[in-house]
Amino acid sequence: MDALAKSAFLTKDEHVPTQPKLLTHPTTKGGLMSWLTTVDHKRIGFLYGISGLFFLLVGGFEAMLIRLQLMVPNNDLLTAQQYNTMFTMHGTTMIFLAVMPMSAAFFNFIMPLQIGARDVAFPRLNAFSFWVFLAGAIILNIGWFLPQATHGAPDGGWFGYAPLTSKQFIPKHSIDYWIMGLQLLGVASIAASLNFIVTIINMRAPGLTMMRLPVFVWMTLITSFLLVLSFPFIAIALVEVMMDRQFGTFFFEASGGGMPILWQHLFWVFGHPEVYILILPPMGIVSEILPTFARKPLFGYPIVVFSGACIGFLGFAVWSHHMFTTGLGTIATAAFALMTMTIAVPTGVKIFNWIGTLWNGNLQMRTPMMFALGFVWMFMIGGFSGIMHSAAPADAQQQDSYFVVAHFHYVLIGGSLFGILSGIHYWFPLMFGRKVSEVWGKLSFWVIFIGFNVTFFPMHFLGLNGMPRRTFTYDSNLGWNAANYIATIGALTLGLGIFIYFVVMVYTYFKGERVGRDIWDARTLEWSLPNPPPEYNFRVIPIVHDRDAFWYEKHHVEEIAKEKIELEKVESAHGGIHMPFASIWPFVAGMGLLIGGLAVSALDSNPAPGMHLKLGLSILGGVVMVIGIYFWSIEGNEGYHLHLDADGNPIEDPHAKH
Amino acid sequence: MLKLLPNFARWSRAAAALTCMATLTGCDLNFWRMDGHQSTMVVEGPVAQEQLNLFIVTVWVTLVIFIIVGGVFAYATWKFRARTEADEHAEPPPQGHGNPLVELGLIGGSVLALVIIAIPTLKAIWFTYDVPAAEKANAYEITATGYQWWFRFEYLTEQATVDASVKTPLVTSNELVIPVGRPIRINVRTVDVIHSFWVPKLAGKVDMIPNRANFLWLKADKPGYYWGQCAEYCGDSHAVMRFRVVALGPREFNDWLDQQLQTARNVAPRPADANRPRPQFASLRSFRTNETGITERFEVDPLASWQQKQAPEKGEDAELVATGKQLFSTKACISCHTVRGHAGAGVAGPDLTHVGARTTIAAGLLENNHEQLQRWIHNPGAVKPGNKMAKGYVDNKITLTAADEAALVAYLESLK
Repeated sequence: MDALAKSAFLTKDEHVPTQPKLLTHPTTKGGLMSWLTTVDHKRIGFLYGISGLFFLLVGGFEAMLIRLQLMVPNNDLLTAQQYNTMFTMHGTTMIFLAVMPMSAAFFNFIMPLQIGARDVAFPRLNAFSFWVFLAGAIILNIGWFLPQATHGAPDGGWFGYAPLTSKQFIPKHSIDYWIMGLQLLGVASIAASLNFIVTIINMRAPGLTMMRLPVFVWMTLITSFLLVLSFPFIAIALVEVMMDRQFGTFFFEASGGGMPILWQHLFWVFGHPEVYILILPPMGIVSEILPTFARKPLFGYPIVVFSGACIGFLGFAVWSHHMFTTGLGTIATAAFALMTMTIAVPTGVKIFNWIGTLWNGNLQMRTPMMFALGFVWMFMIGGFSGIMHSAAPADAQQQDSYFVVAHFHYVLIGGSLFGILSGIHYWFPLMFGRKVSEVWGKLSFWVIFIGFNVTFFPMHFLGLNGMPRRTFTYDSNLGWNAANYIATIGALTLGLGIFIYFVVMVYTYFKGERVGRDIWDARTLEWSLPNPPPEYNFRVIPIVHDRDAFWYEKHHVEEIAKEKIELEKVESAHGGIHMPFASIWPFVAGMGLLIGGLAVSALDSNPAPGMHLKLGLSILGGVVMVIGIYFWSIEGNEGYHLHLDADGNPIEDPHAKH
Repeated sequence: MLKLLPNFARWSRAAAALTCMATLTGCDLNFWRMDGHQSTMVVEGPVAQEQLNLFIVTVWVTLVIFIIVGGVFAYATWKFRARTEADEHAEPPPQGHGNPLVELGLIGGSVLALVIIAIPTLKAIWFTYDVPAAEKANAYEITATGYQWWFRFEYLTEQATVDASVKTPLVTSNELVIPVGRPIRINVRTVDVIHSFWVPKLAGKVDMIPNRANFLWLKADKPGYYWGQCAEYCGDSHAVMRFRVVALGPREFNDWLDQQLQTARNVAPRPADANRPRPQFASLRSFRTNETGITERFEVDPLASWQQKQAPEKGEDAELVATGKQLFSTKACISCHTVRGHAGAGVAGPDLTHVGARTTIAAGLLENNHEQLQRWIHNPGAVKPGNKMAKGYVDNKITLTAADEAALVAYLESLK
């Protein structure tokens, strides 16, 4: 599995060469330091998950304020300024700080287990990705805690259309935080994605061919490619707008010959693949859950995989359907309209195949299944309003109206979030060895499902009745009162549902019913592990014989048992289980980026007070980052060996540590 | 877990109570009628009609697919669910992997459904793009320019009088008056950030983008008063950047044009005025933030309300108007606003030459009457957060007494 890395690991009889004290590998197994230095993909996945859930609550709170402001016409709960900040941060938070990290949490935790690997290909890079993500999240949100007149949280919209984001129109630093925050999140995403790509290509268990990969792993792979290919576009755009703001260049300044429309193209060339980055992982999760609870394989596996890849490719060819009202001209509009319709085919195919999976199955209506079925229904409705948008002239009426708001919440809440919530329910027993009560799980599902539909279904009508998005107030004479009122009631219900969900999860984490291995009678490799999985994952790397590897194992017990004995011999012949050393340096490098990023975005570039502080702190941040990367590279990529007793507990080995 | 269960009953009761409250207090639940002033479903022009027709096609196609796919989905969920404990522990069903023929059939079906949408889409793209060739000769051209947060309209073919020797293209703001039955080609421009021009009942939106010569066309089928709004987030007061379109028959349109092309109106003092008691404006009450500026009376027949505004106000006080005219110059209003024929050639704010003849002020936000005019002049920043007039007051240290406000209001109302 790790043919390339093997040489760097020590054999059983070798002693670890003595190292300078600074480069001593951290060995603590508990406490704060163990989390700061961890390179274990499961722990990093857990960190992503906790951060994602935290920001889901933050973004949800912002959404509640938005809905309360719009509950009645001419409301004055929020000022215009506050409202604009809320919707900007709601969008940015939910996309970059909630859904993406929660997907990343599953990529980290589940994907290596599903391919029979002991960690990702570059464990320290994985840790670095998380710390940079956290730095980006802090910078994005730091404005809440600073003076609102000169700093403030970002308020230029999550799409940040130039030239509104220029210094002329928003002189505050709020936009600088947004630029720097997104830039760092992009760094984190690209680093993590490269890691996942290499892991999936190189570290699959023997016998696990590409066409035997679980669909979730396929979606991880496709999503990672999308991230690696799309984030450079926004990175460039962000650098340009940053230079416009900080150094007075003219990329998007119309007065200097710049082209504001260029921002939209760059943003949406990133932004549309981003939509698939948000939806493909939950599609993968649902494609795991439906077969498990239907107790039969996924219907048309090759077509589901192929259509996922198709969506990935086409995702780069439809960006201008976000720009149908920018005066593209007839030919470009027609081309993008037809391309957009094309993308409905692979998406529809997925829905057909999920339904095909249910057909003739033995459907076990557990909570994860409820969320997964809810996902398919809601995603279908969101898909249909998506088809309506592809008819460009009709879209001229819908663009930037509440119809669009309804559409993308159906795919992002009804789709992405439902998929993620079902995934949490599904893998919770594996992660923590406890199971959520079915009664409370289903109750939270129904409250969320009803609340969600009551919130967003009326918004279709609002949009068709001419209510534009991103408006902090509206007059009472336009026929929008009832739908807005209902939507707010729905939002409160949805909030209650999410609250129940969280309370139940926290309760279960501490006091839930303990369960054994493989409680769902599942089909993929991760369920062959004890729960929670040990730090080395697989005592013996399995050989994969079939697409649903674990299902095959369960139905060929004798053959597998014989094979396991052979494999164990081979495994112990090369000296135990290879484990990577923990390291503090990814954290140090990430903190360097945090300091530098804050300094660059928070301080004025005018010669006024602060100039030297800014320069000094920027340089300090850079130095800390370089120190982190420098020691990271010279500490080397050695690991140690783990030896297990009969129960799978590590035996203390004098050679394994210093 | 069981300990928490009694709360469940209480929660569901609370939820039920909340829902009841919603239905009781949430006015009549009529949102599916979608016949508001900015409706895209009840339209009054060929462009919006074409867009609506296409939308209806997409609704029917997706509805049919939804019924078929959703029906199969619901049936499968119902039919194959485990009902009993025995079902739960039954032997796994046959491990089928799919059926290529079914897949191909479904892909073919989806493509067919999309073709049904694609054909009218292509037709509509070309139709809605520009004025049809047959009607080009009859088209009327207007340039609409977006400002943070109002609209300026320039009638390129109409020459308005500045003084005896100087003419300039006619400029109005926030209320676009157009002739009925003629295709209107509107060039959309912006001076600052991106805005979007949207009159839902007449046509879909087109964005106003710096360095980009966008345009759209629309036509009003019958005389009417239409609501429009900026549809692209453009900063603090995006939500209150609105405008109106008034469509008039050919005769009324020409009458209106004649009036607009003249310089600003002067109010001649009448001998009787000297002893007449001066009209007292209600002293400025404090307005709530975002308080509506539109009365229901106005709504009954907006077009008639508009027509009423064309005639001079009753009981004009020439002396007060003269004071207001004076203040308009001394309080630096003229540096941003133009009143053709009187003082002022500012272009940063809306042209006010005939502001008294408009139905709304502050970009379609407030009804044009004493109370709202005074509210606006008194504290523009409270009505429209972040706007330039509020900043102008601060920068130029402008303070207005109640008497000043009354005089300015009288002056502005006299500008018919």
